[in-house]
Amino acid sequence: MQSDTAGSWVPVALSSDLPALAVMPARIASETVALWRSASGRATASADRCPHRGMRLSHGFVRGEALSCIYHGWSYAQGGQCLKIPAHPGLTPPETIRVVTYAVAEQDGVVWAAAGAPAGEPPRLNGFAPLRSVTVDAAIGFIEAAAGVGMNADGFLSPADAPSGLCLLLSDQGAGQTLVHVLIGQDAGPSARIAASRAVEALRRRAEALSTEGAGA
Amino acid sequence: MNKIGMIDEWYPVGLFSQLDPNGRDTWLMGEPIRVAIDGEGNPLVTGGNGRVLAVCVRYGHVWASLGKPDHDLFPIPEADQPGRRLVEVGVVRVRCSPLRAVENFLDIAHFPFVHTDILGSEPHTEVQNYKVEIREEEDEVWATQVKFYQPQAAKSASGGITTEYMYRVPAPTCSVLYKTCPPRPSEWDVITLFVQPLFEDVCDVWPWMALYDDDTPMTDLIHFQQTIFLQDRSILENQIPTLLPLDPGMEIPTRADLTSVAYRRWLKRHNYTYGAQLVAQ
Amino acid sequence: MKLYDYILSPSCYKVRLMAALAGAALELKPVDFHPGNEHRSPAMLALNPAGTIPILEDGDLLLTESSAMLAYIAAKAAPGWLGGDSAEETARIQQWLAFSARLTSSLGGARLTQMLLVPCDIAALQKSGIAALRELEAGLVEQSLRGCRFLAADRPTIADIACFPYVALAPDGNVSLDPYPTIRLWSRALRALPGFIEMPGIHRLHELKPEPEVQAEEA
Repeated sequence: MQSDTAGSWVPVALSSDLPALAVMPARIASETVALWRSASGRATASADRCPHRGMRLSHGFVRGEALSCIYHGWSYAQGGQCLKIPAHPGLTPPETIRVVTYAVAEQDGVVWAAAGAPAGEPPRLNGFAPLRSVTVDAAIGFIEAAAGVGMNADGFLSPADAPSGLCLLLSDQGAGQTLVHVLIGQDAGPSARIAASRAVEALRRRAEALSTEGAGA
Repeated sequence: MNKIGMIDEWYPVGLFSQLDPNGRDTWLMGEPIRVAIDGEGNPLVTGGNGRVLAVCVRYGHVWASLGKPDHDLFPIPEADQPGRRLVEVGVVRVRCSPLRAVENFLDIAHFPFVHTDILGSEPHTEVQNYKVEIREEEDEVWATQVKFYQPQAAKSASGGITTEYMYRVPAPTCSVLYKTCPPRPSEWDVITLFVQPLFEDVCDVWPWMALYDDDTPMTDLIHFQQTIFLQDRSILENQIPTLLPLDPGMEIPTRADLTSVAYRRWLKRHNYTYGAQLVAQ
Repeated sequence: MKLYDYILSPSCYKVRLMAALAGAALELKPVDFHPGNEHRSPAMLALNPAGTIPILEDGDLLLTESSAMLAYIAAKAAPGWLGGDSAEETARIQQWLAFSARLTSSLGGARLTQMLLVPCDIAALQKSGIAALRELEAGLVEQSLRGCRFLAADRPTIADIACFPYVALAPDGNVSLDPYPTIRLWSRALRALPGFIEMPGIHRLHELKPEPEVQAEEA
């Protein structure tokens, strides 16, 4: 994965972690975004800051096809323009009031977002299905070391000693954190899925221990 | 930015009723201070190098200054009116700019979303026009004729009423709110927010009230105000940037925000910039 | 039933929330915990020598442990919340009820330190709070893989109520909830329950209310 992610797809969340009418924080490179899903099911990534008073929009709420700020209820469309200022119900907000929005693509159960205009589609999961997302307090290098294998250009990594059919999709969060989307073969049964979830907890402990040792060295 | 413009102001550093002979360690604008009580029962506040700071006791709190205040603490004449109950709400720490804490206190448009079904509720979200001025003689920011529909305006209120407010900023980190008093319509309840700036991005908030309410138990009055302030706390800790932007263009005010606009202008005029951000980043 | 209550206490909130969800009536007796330290007064120590709140009083019954209060209210007013349809479910409920004490000491301790200035080793509390949140997240993931949205079953039980408040209020102690997507889904499911009540620091899910009609009032 390129270190400069402007214009490239970043896996920000699993589709199942973002139900309709939900909003959550996510990161695209150095930007924090409010990732939300409208009543009709469409996912949008908006800048995580209401331009009115700077409140994080990821603390807000979704009604219909708009995201509202929890502070004063200013609401924003999927295109970013401000739709409503509740303190002035009769006012049509000027078009200059808007939040930046980012390209979003959703496929194989993963929500991808990009700053800029990405070329092409996000990578496919090729027979894998998302299991869960885990945040690791270690940079990607430590996860590779703990897994005993490097990740490929698309950010995928298959740990050497993990149960077969386990694959990780890594996304650098900055500040020494990595978001890990855990993927597993589509035909894995419930007990294999639980085992995979536990295996990733163990991998995280190893990667974080390596990171702590690295910081101490 | 820096504390020069605010160094000669008074700041709350503790409840007088809770002074401890052993002292309590805290900070004032980045400087470690100790707040104690001496053998004669007077507050004693010392700075980082052991120097004794200027102190006074007013409105239930001990006030201190790192500099040489050339004025007394601002007056609240209502505080001395007989019959009012004086409510010490206690301290709450917030990881935000002290100026952001005051600005939020001056805001009514957030009531339906943050203090839902208490100080406001949808669809009653409209903020009607009100008057804002900087009173030159007192050198204070005032907002008057502020009206808002409230489902439960005070502990003493039963049912929704249109409440009238007056806001006053007599010092950079203090605000006094005058509010419709349900049991005595001819008087105003007084609700204050006294903010101790620990650092530019951390403050201790000491709410205090002087109310006409003979019926509500003291603990209920304290809990009502703590409820309101703790609903605000998660907002204050999630505003970006942490410091209050004084640069126009960083945030978008509307007519409902005129008190905030005047407050920011007044801060800038006086170089009250500890906890502020002057240039957009 | 009389609850000695503090509006900012997550443990007291557990009891208020359980009563609201179960439709049980509670008489509230506010205790001036902060700044008054009333929970350490002789009158309160006579009720609970440990000097903690909540305290639940019902006739001769005097309870000082919030998990016991949840069980009592559920048993009286809404037995379904006790769970226990299988040996496994019974065990899960006991597991998370006991686990909730770790949330109280870690996340609750961090919150008291960061918010009400109770002196403590904040870094250690935050570290153990994060460890507890990771365990809860992993437990909820495994439940969802079993087709269950809640800690012990596919319906909420007293175990969920015992764990929810200190988790939802973790940011009060400067512990972020951003890294826990499954906790976020669980929290939403609880907050959307009929009869759910809030406490300061846990905001209303405004999305549950329809967009109000625009009402421009007379200026």
